[in-house]
Amino acid sequence: MTFLSFILAQCLSALSQAAILFFIACGLTLIFGIMRIVNFAHGVVFMLGAYAGYTAQVLTGSFIMAMILAPIFVGIVGAAFEWIFLRRLYGRRDGGAYLLLTFGLAVVLSELIRIIWGTAPLSAGIPDFLRGIVLILDQPFPLYRLFLIGLGLASAGAVWLFLERTRAGLLIRAVSQNPEMVHALGTNVDLVRTGVFGFGCALAAVGGVLAAPLVTAFLGMGTTVVIDAFVIVIIGGMGSFLGSIIGSVLVAFVQVFGAYYFQDLALAFMYFLMLVVLVIRPGGLLGKED
Amino acid sequence: MPLLECKGLVRRFGALVAVDNVDMSVESGEIRAVIGPNGAGKSTVFNLITSVLKPTAGQVIFAGENITGLPVYEVARKGIARTFQLCHVFPALTARENVRIAAQARDDQRWRFVGGGRVLSKSTTVADEALEHMRLTRFADTPASMLSHGDQRLLEVAMAIAQRPRLLMLDEPTQGLSLEETDRAVQILKDMLKGGNLSVLLVEHDMEVVFKLADNITVLHRGRVIADGSPAAVRANAEVRSAYLGGTE
Amino acid sequence: MNWKLGFAATAVACVALPFLVPQYSLTILIEALIFGLFAMSLDLMVGYCRLYSFGHAAAYGLGAYSTALILIHLQLPLPIGIILAVLMTIVTAVPIAWICTRSTGVSFAMLTLAFAQLGYAMLFRFRDVTGGSDGLVGIPQPAGPFGMTWFQGKIGYYYLVLGCLLGSYLLCRAIVRSPFGAVLAGIRENEAKTIALGYNTRAYKIATVVLAYGFGGLAGALYAGFAGFASPELFFWLTSGRVLIMVVVGGAGTLIGPIIGGVFFVYLEHQLSQVTDLWPLIFGSIFIAFVMFAPEGIWGILTSRFKVPAKLPSSTGGKEASDAAA
Repeated sequence: MTFLSFILAQCLSALSQAAILFFIACGLTLIFGIMRIVNFAHGVVFMLGAYAGYTAQVLTGSFIMAMILAPIFVGIVGAAFEWIFLRRLYGRRDGGAYLLLTFGLAVVLSELIRIIWGTAPLSAGIPDFLRGIVLILDQPFPLYRLFLIGLGLASAGAVWLFLERTRAGLLIRAVSQNPEMVHALGTNVDLVRTGVFGFGCALAAVGGVLAAPLVTAFLGMGTTVVIDAFVIVIIGGMGSFLGSIIGSVLVAFVQVFGAYYFQDLALAFMYFLMLVVLVIRPGGLLGKED
Repeated sequence: MPLLECKGLVRRFGALVAVDNVDMSVESGEIRAVIGPNGAGKSTVFNLITSVLKPTAGQVIFAGENITGLPVYEVARKGIARTFQLCHVFPALTARENVRIAAQARDDQRWRFVGGGRVLSKSTTVADEALEHMRLTRFADTPASMLSHGDQRLLEVAMAIAQRPRLLMLDEPTQGLSLEETDRAVQILKDMLKGGNLSVLLVEHDMEVVFKLADNITVLHRGRVIADGSPAAVRANAEVRSAYLGGTE
Repeated sequence: MNWKLGFAATAVACVALPFLVPQYSLTILIEALIFGLFAMSLDLMVGYCRLYSFGHAAAYGLGAYSTALILIHLQLPLPIGIILAVLMTIVTAVPIAWICTRSTGVSFAMLTLAFAQLGYAMLFRFRDVTGGSDGLVGIPQPAGPFGMTWFQGKIGYYYLVLGCLLGSYLLCRAIVRSPFGAVLAGIRENEAKTIALGYNTRAYKIATVVLAYGFGGLAGALYAGFAGFASPELFFWLTSGRVLIMVVVGGAGTLIGPIIGGVFFVYLEHQLSQVTDLWPLIFGSIFIAFVMFAPEGIWGILTSRFKVPAKLPSSTGGKEASDAAA
């Protein structure tokens, strides 16, 4: 094994990690961008996606179907939560209420997951058509991880296209900049918010479905992930789509290389990274200050 | 030596030059108004003086000291008090509490961790005086959010006086006030400024208010000073007339 | 006057409690009071300064582990150990506060969480010192100074905790009613204005965070001395979450509310966990209900019955004569 091929393998590993992180972070940053809410429940939403994906895969026997159905389900749950609960807080002067409410959601949702699916980790495993090894520079590399990289890139591109080139995307960007104006122009801003919140949750769920074959769906998988997601969004900048991509890659690299070289300290390294970024640029690398 | 001197203040926002080489000074005891059409840069100049914005170039000298770029709270502590265009008060606190916080700002006591009544009494007295000046005594125990817009503006001025500043900067103090409220405010301000140890820098749109209060006027247009002098002189100035009434250059 | 009476009455009642309740519930009572103190410490930040923290467990954990290490390795008397632990927590809190206050709002919250998680990770990294996932066990309650041992029994420890709680409450109350506290109110209501008045609000925020850590550290220290062990859970984000829930449900910004919230929470948890597996779900739901419909919390609801609604004095226009008469 040469050093180059080792580095390459680590990089690819980091990129595949980044792909999963991207789905979560992108959803989080979109939600923030449009609602100025930090969805503290985002990690649990990710977890819900993993569990729902498992069930969907078991029921339909198809990973592809799971990748489609689970996010839709989670997206609807998210949208419903926004519609029933979050919406009522819009008048409040105190922005902290959102933080608390999404925190409450995180607690309730994780409990519901425990009640419905039980405490044992669940996994339907990597689907057959994605099993296997690919040789890159004589280094074996899991096909599934390559699939993640590809899917991550494709999705990032798709979301970018959606935001920049479609009318719906334009609407979303407009609402995130000036909701009153958009409202005055006749759009139902509330509906846009509900939709984006649901979409953001759906994205996180995709991350969950993709992660489950690797780490199994287990209770508590949301807690480390939500912190990762926040670190990413803070580094990349709250509300910045591009930032969520850059942040995901940065954090994934720190995690992968950190875990290799520093083992125990890998976790700490990520926090140091966040601290450094926040100290230098309190608003994050690319985003707006909240 | 003037109390406040702005030397060559410039502020750019990207390609936009909001303040273009502004020289202005305020003498001790003077009431100076800054007027100009919308977008002339008046509030920006205020923000530059109080350090809310840092100048791209130029200096702000206060009482002989260069205060350019100091942190906002330090500028305030040097003796400059200001009110804001969008009225800034503490909504849930009573009027007296609002003013008291302003009063204790330059006090050494303000870092006292413990002690209620006795320690607070000095600043409470100053607060009550300020409320009295602005004819707001009857609202002393009312939450600021319940006051009318006009009274809130007066409350803001009360807070500014309670800081015992040397320079009072009022940013559109009569904006949004009814005719009656405006008259009342002007009367109160005039009474307060009598025997003036206080210097005032005032941004105003209401020309009547300006001519009633100001000793001198600076006229801004598109970020530049186009006139500077007594009210009569400014009134007669052709360039000022065209800036306000004429079309675009 | 009212307040002093209420406080005195409560204090007397609390002093009498150990003789009125069975021994086993004394344990829960002590835990409840410790959590009440912990919640009150967070209230200084959340309720009085609107600094939302998701990492207050760090204060608790720091206090607990410091106490554990001091008592186990240095064998100092328990009260001295606790005082030292609080001092260590305060010292550690200064750089934490300094960094966290560079940001506001959510970034602030995430930074506090990051520090707590960092602490959590450190526990595993330096497991030789901290015992890793096993934590530190067998924390003694050394006697002294001057050979005092009254705090070594359960009843004695109860009075220690009670004393700390009541003393801390009085101190916090004095703080929020002081000139310093008035500035916190200003920061809470309108920070930009407070800065414009001439206050270095960042310094005040740092002070508030450090104070909150100090009292939180005291709670953690008392816990370690009581439970006899310190484990990594103390640093975990769920602990931070629980105390935040206590503050909100109890009533942020009232000091008393969070104490009640803490006590309420511990009792409810204890009762519910015996009956059903679903108690976290119930807690979460109660919490959501309060955030949505009763943000003023339990204490806020109780005291609003006694509050006279603020009225606008009748305005008689701008005539000076009537103003002079007013």
